[in-house]
Amino acid sequence: MNWDPVQHIAVQLVMYLAYICLIVVVFRNFISVVQLVMAAFIFATRVKPSAVSLDLWHRYGDLALPVSVIVPAFNEELSIVQSVRAILALEYPEHEVIVVNDGSSDRTIQELIDGFDCVPSDRSQIEVLQHTKILGVYQSRKHANLIVIDKENGRKADASNAGIGFARTPLVCVIDADSIIETDGLLRATEPFMYDTGKMVAVGGAIRIANGCEIRAGSLRKIGVSKAWLPRFQIVEYLRAFLTARVANAEGDSLMLISGAFGIFRRSALIEVGGYEHETVAEDLELIVRIHRYMREHKRDYKIGFVPEIVCWTEAPTTWGGLRNQRARWQQGALETLIRHRRMIFNPRYGRIGMLSMPQIVVEDVIGPPAELIGYLVIPAALLLGVMDPTMVILFLCLTVLFGSGLSIGTLALEELQLKRTPSASDLIRVGLAAFVENFGYRQANLFFRFAGIGRHLRKDTSWAAVPREGFDSARDE
Amino acid sequence: MNIYGGLIQFCIWTTVFLTVAFALLVLRRWYTEHRAPVYKARQKAITHSYLRRVQGMEVEQTGVKWSVEARLQALTHLLMLLRGGDRDRLIQLAEIDGLLKAPLRQCKAWRAARRIDAVRTLQQYGGEAAIAKLREVLRHDRHRIVRLNAAFALAGFHQLPPPRETIELIGMPARAPTRLDVAMLRALASEYPTHLVRMLGDVMPHPRRAAIIDALGWSNVESVIPTLERAASFDNIEIRCAALRAVGKLGHPSVAKWVLEALEDPNAFVRIQAVNCCATLRLTKALPVLRVLSHDPELWVRLRAEEAIPRLESLVAERQAKPAMQVAV
Repeated sequence: MNWDPVQHIAVQLVMYLAYICLIVVVFRNFISVVQLVMAAFIFATRVKPSAVSLDLWHRYGDLALPVSVIVPAFNEELSIVQSVRAILALEYPEHEVIVVNDGSSDRTIQELIDGFDCVPSDRSQIEVLQHTKILGVYQSRKHANLIVIDKENGRKADASNAGIGFARTPLVCVIDADSIIETDGLLRATEPFMYDTGKMVAVGGAIRIANGCEIRAGSLRKIGVSKAWLPRFQIVEYLRAFLTARVANAEGDSLMLISGAFGIFRRSALIEVGGYEHETVAEDLELIVRIHRYMREHKRDYKIGFVPEIVCWTEAPTTWGGLRNQRARWQQGALETLIRHRRMIFNPRYGRIGMLSMPQIVVEDVIGPPAELIGYLVIPAALLLGVMDPTMVILFLCLTVLFGSGLSIGTLALEELQLKRTPSASDLIRVGLAAFVENFGYRQANLFFRFAGIGRHLRKDTSWAAVPREGFDSARDE
Repeated sequence: MNIYGGLIQFCIWTTVFLTVAFALLVLRRWYTEHRAPVYKARQKAITHSYLRRVQGMEVEQTGVKWSVEARLQALTHLLMLLRGGDRDRLIQLAEIDGLLKAPLRQCKAWRAARRIDAVRTLQQYGGEAAIAKLREVLRHDRHRIVRLNAAFALAGFHQLPPPRETIELIGMPARAPTRLDVAMLRALASEYPTHLVRMLGDVMPHPRRAAIIDALGWSNVESVIPTLERAASFDNIEIRCAALRAVGKLGHPSVAKWVLEALEDPNAFVRIQAVNCCATLRLTKALPVLRVLSHDPELWVRLRAEEAIPRLESLVAERQAKPAMQVAV
């Protein structure tokens, strides 16, 4: 049998695949470069933020809209009291804290009742957005601005919705129970509402990794960088995501995600769109996409803002298993959101969201992972078939690594010149090294985790894959 | 050079560039860290020197020249700590030493962000030169946000121009009022209450009229009450609400009659404001109506009434307890 035609077809196939992958990779990198350049320009031309919170207070103390901070808590008995104390102590003229115990199986509710001297309250729920039953409402006798809601288990989206339903303030801030908010984070994050003429519906803020930081009593005492590689890789990722992508997207009125760890919303807008979606594992992404969709379908003039200052610190997974669960969930959630709102993709009715932002998510989360995987498989195949020169392959790999590292170093430079929140020169070296090393293994592992997410989505597996946390005490001891 | 050679060159030079860029970043940080004790000592010396001068004491001549930037940094910190005469003397010293020359110059920077930075620095200091420059920025800057920041700074020094001019300068007529605009009007109200009342005679959109009426509450002047009473019977809901907010802030008991009437307003938003106003004014006479409103068809009216009732009831209990105590004594 003559194998030449088969080999010829295989060569053609491999080359076409290689070209397609190359186009996808070049497109994704091009977007990243544009975002980095835009972010650099925005940072260079922005009004410098107030260095001290006293100045912020002086400026906005009388104007800040009241905020309800919603804290959904599930099995947080060890840290909940300290976390809530830290939130109560935030610098803000008028804020109330609504803790929602989401059917914890441990002593979370008891700790809250004992810790804050809570008594049953007859406070009524204004909007019923949750799907589960409210078991009790408590009011602290120590803190007039603390409400505790006890409800059946129903995941974070359901707990957040329950809290939103009890809020009576114009703004609500939804956070994770283990989020560490900067003491002036609320003031900084509500600043865009001061200049607003009624269009602003939501504001997100930059979030950083708390692993390696010194956290005491739910408050950040000393910024640090973890010595472990996995959190350091995530620091680089968070920097790229929050300091370039989101800054650039917000400037172009196309911010598609406000992290679940910290987000401020106009209460009325949240109620209008029906709160968080229960049937998804990425309720934060889905909510913002839904807000865009709702506002554009109802022809509303609206704005979703972003504050590049760090407003919140969160614990990153420290094990590969935890990271896999988190990343698989993000991927699954992105696919769920895209399918749910598929009619927005390339639909001019939704403006730049439909024509640019949604297709970008498609490239990132639908086309991107398979293209990257095919890229990894095609290159050895091309080598075996003899259609690619080994020198070319090595050069291509070098270029990929250099490009990835270059983007990360660019973002790190932006952080160092504008925010300067990396604690020391040695920590800067650690993060810089992570920006280079992440190209060898971490990125590939992430690709694998994304496929795990695609698999979960195809299997319609909606179970919540928990991300084990070490807690901040261990982070402190590192 | 073939494509391979070109790519190899590109890779090498990119690697060199990235390494150098990163090394510079680290070196910059390392230098700052190692200079930290020197920097701290310098700031301490500057602070010490200015504190002595504020207290009218002689300053030792060390021969060391501190940069304007370093001195401004130290003074910014000191300004937060000093009050009264000491603060005024410190501002005078800053002017004498020419420290404000840089921010005064920066008010003409090309980029709006830099001009706002300068305005905010001047806002911290004040003084004649700073106020004159802020006035100039408010009148002539080409960017609305810069003008708004200048107005905000002038409001802090009670140096805002009359309302009509300020409103025009910050571009309020062209848009819906923001929270900063509302703050500005409130600041104007304490300086120019009669100007604001006169302005209400002009033709203007309802949101702006409502914002002006709301601001009158911050005037601390009883003479605006008749204006507010008239506004409370205006056909626009927003204006009626603003009038109630303003009288709540003024806290004058003479308004009780028409505030109680507003509790029965056909519009729910007005009823909400009236309930809030009753709670602020401690109008215990409102309790019977509030009890009725706790069954209002509108949820927010019910909620606000439920919140107000216990506050007023506790006041009634307190008043009843007082004479009993006096009798007992």
